[in-house]
Amino acid sequence: MSGASTMFVQQRPVGLGFALLIVLLYVFLLVPLVTIVGASFTAGLMIEFPPRGFSLQWYREFFGRRDLVDGLLLSLRVGAITAIVTTIVATMAALCGQALSGRKGGWFQLAMTLPLLVPELLTAVGLLFFLFKIGLGKTVLGLQMGHILMSFPYAYVSITAALRQVPSSLDEASASLGATHWQTFRMVTLPLIMPGVVMGAIFAFINSFDLYTISLLLKPLGGNTLPLALFDFLTYEFKPTAAAAATISIVLSVIGVALVQRLVGLQRAF
Amino acid sequence: MIKARHLRLLLGAPAVVLIFVFMILPITNMVEMSFRVPGTVEPFGDDYTLMHYTRVFGDSFYWGILARSLLTAGSVALLCLIVSYPIAWHLSKASGLKAALLYALIASPLMTGVLVRNFGWMIVTALNGPLNETLIGLGIISQPLRLLFTQGLVIVALVHVFVPFMVLPINNALRNIPDNLVEASVSMGASRYRVFRDIILPLSFPGIQPGLILVYVLAVAAYVTPALLGGQMVTYMPTMIIAELTGTFRWPLGSALAIMLSLSTILVVGLFTMLTWRLMERARA
Repeated sequence: MSGASTMFVQQRPVGLGFALLIVLLYVFLLVPLVTIVGASFTAGLMIEFPPRGFSLQWYREFFGRRDLVDGLLLSLRVGAITAIVTTIVATMAALCGQALSGRKGGWFQLAMTLPLLVPELLTAVGLLFFLFKIGLGKTVLGLQMGHILMSFPYAYVSITAALRQVPSSLDEASASLGATHWQTFRMVTLPLIMPGVVMGAIFAFINSFDLYTISLLLKPLGGNTLPLALFDFLTYEFKPTAAAAATISIVLSVIGVALVQRLVGLQRAF
Repeated sequence: MIKARHLRLLLGAPAVVLIFVFMILPITNMVEMSFRVPGTVEPFGDDYTLMHYTRVFGDSFYWGILARSLLTAGSVALLCLIVSYPIAWHLSKASGLKAALLYALIASPLMTGVLVRNFGWMIVTALNGPLNETLIGLGIISQPLRLLFTQGLVIVALVHVFVPFMVLPINNALRNIPDNLVEASVSMGASRYRVFRDIILPLSFPGIQPGLILVYVLAVAAYVTPALLGGQMVTYMPTMIIAELTGTFRWPLGSALAIMLSLSTILVVGLFTMLTWRLMERARA
C-alpha cells in the first residue's frame, strides 16, 4: 500500500502535496477552538468531542454558577474601562507621536509599545511589587491599571496607523479657514481616524479580556476574572461548563474580528 | 506655531506617565527586590544582600530548570517557523476576498485567550479524545496515548499559540519579494528548489529573524501553558517564579530568578542577532 501511495505522490506536481499540507496546518490552527465549541453543546455529562447529542444545559449551568458569572462580569467591566481609557490616552499619544520625527519619533514609538515587547511575566512581577508599595496591592484599581498598561500598545498602534493615512494638508486647510486646533481635531481628524480608534478599542478590550498572567499576580481580594475562574474550574472540576465559558469568550473574539474586518479590513490591521 | 507644537507634545504626557509609572518603575522595583533580604512577616526584609544571586547562580537545580526553559523555547520557535512558513507563503499569494478570509482564519486564534486555546488541546488529546480516536481508527496506534501533562504537549500548544506572531512578519517579507525576480530566475532555468533556496528563503529572512526572536522571547516567559498542560511534574522558570511569588511568598528569590531568566534570554537573543547579522545584510542588499 505504501509503495503505491508513494508512486502516486511522486507523479503528481508539488501542488497537491502542498495543498494537503496547507489544509493540515489550518486544521491544526482551528482544531482546539472547534472542539471547545462542539464540546460545549454536548447533551452528555463529560467533556467530549464529538459531542453527545445537542443541548444548552451547560450554558444554563454556567449562568447558574456564581464564581464563573462573577468572573465574567469583572472581566467585562475591566475590559470596558480598559478600552475607554486606553483609546483616549492612545489617541492623544498618537497625535503627539505624529508631531515627532526622526530619532525622537522612533524612541517615542518604542516607549509606547514597550508593554508589548517586554514579556508579560516581568511586567506582572514588577507591578505586583510596585502596587504593594503604593498601597494598591490586591485591589481592583491595581488590576485595572495593569490591564490598561498591557492593552495600551494595541490601541496606540491602530490609531497611529489610521493617523498616518490623514494628509497633513487637511490640517493646514482647516487652520487657514480659521478653525481652532480643537475644531480641526473634532471635525476633520477624528472622523477620518474613527475606524482606527474603534479598532484600537476592540483590540484593547479583547486583549484585556484574555489576559491571564498579570491578572493572576494582581488578583484583587475575592475577585476573579473569567480566565482565572476558568483555570481554577479546570483544575478542580473538568466539566462541559468550562467549554461553555470558553465558547462565550471565543464568540466575543469572533465578533471583534468581524467588526475589525468590516471597519478597516484585517489586512490593514496587521 | 511653536505653541501649537508644544501643545501637541503635551498630549503625549498621559501615555508617557502611564508607561513610566506602571512599567519602568515596577521593573526597577523588581531589580531592587532581588537584592532584598528575605522577610519574616512581610514577603521581603529591609536590608540588602547578594545572597539570592549567589544561591540562584550557584545551584545546579536552578540551572537545570533554566536550561529546560531555554531549550523548550528554542524548539517552540523552530517548530513555529516550520509550521508558519507554508502558511505565510500561502497567505502571501492570496488576494481579495480569499486573503481577507485567510487573515481572519489566522487572526481569530490570536484574538482568543491563551487559556482558552490550551483548554482546547486538553479536549483534543484526552485519552478518549478525537486525536486518539482518529489515530486508533487509522490503525496507527492500538492503545490510546497519554499526552496530557507531557512536555511534548506543552511544546505543541505553545507553537499553536505563537503561529500568528510568526506568520505575519514572514508574510510581509514574502510580499516584498518582487515577482519578476522569481520569474527571471525560473526563465533562466532554475529549478523550483533552487529558486526557493537561493532567492525566496534568503529574501524572506527579514521576516524570519524577528519572528524567531519574538516567539522565543514570548515562549521563554510563557506561564499559562506549562501551568495548565505541563502538570505538576515538569517545572519551568515562569511556573517556578510565580510559585515563589504567590505560594511561598519569597519575593526577593522570585525576583532573582526572573532576572536570571531575563539576562539569559537577552544573551541568547543577542547571540542569535549577531550570528544572523550577515544573513540580514545579504537580504537587504
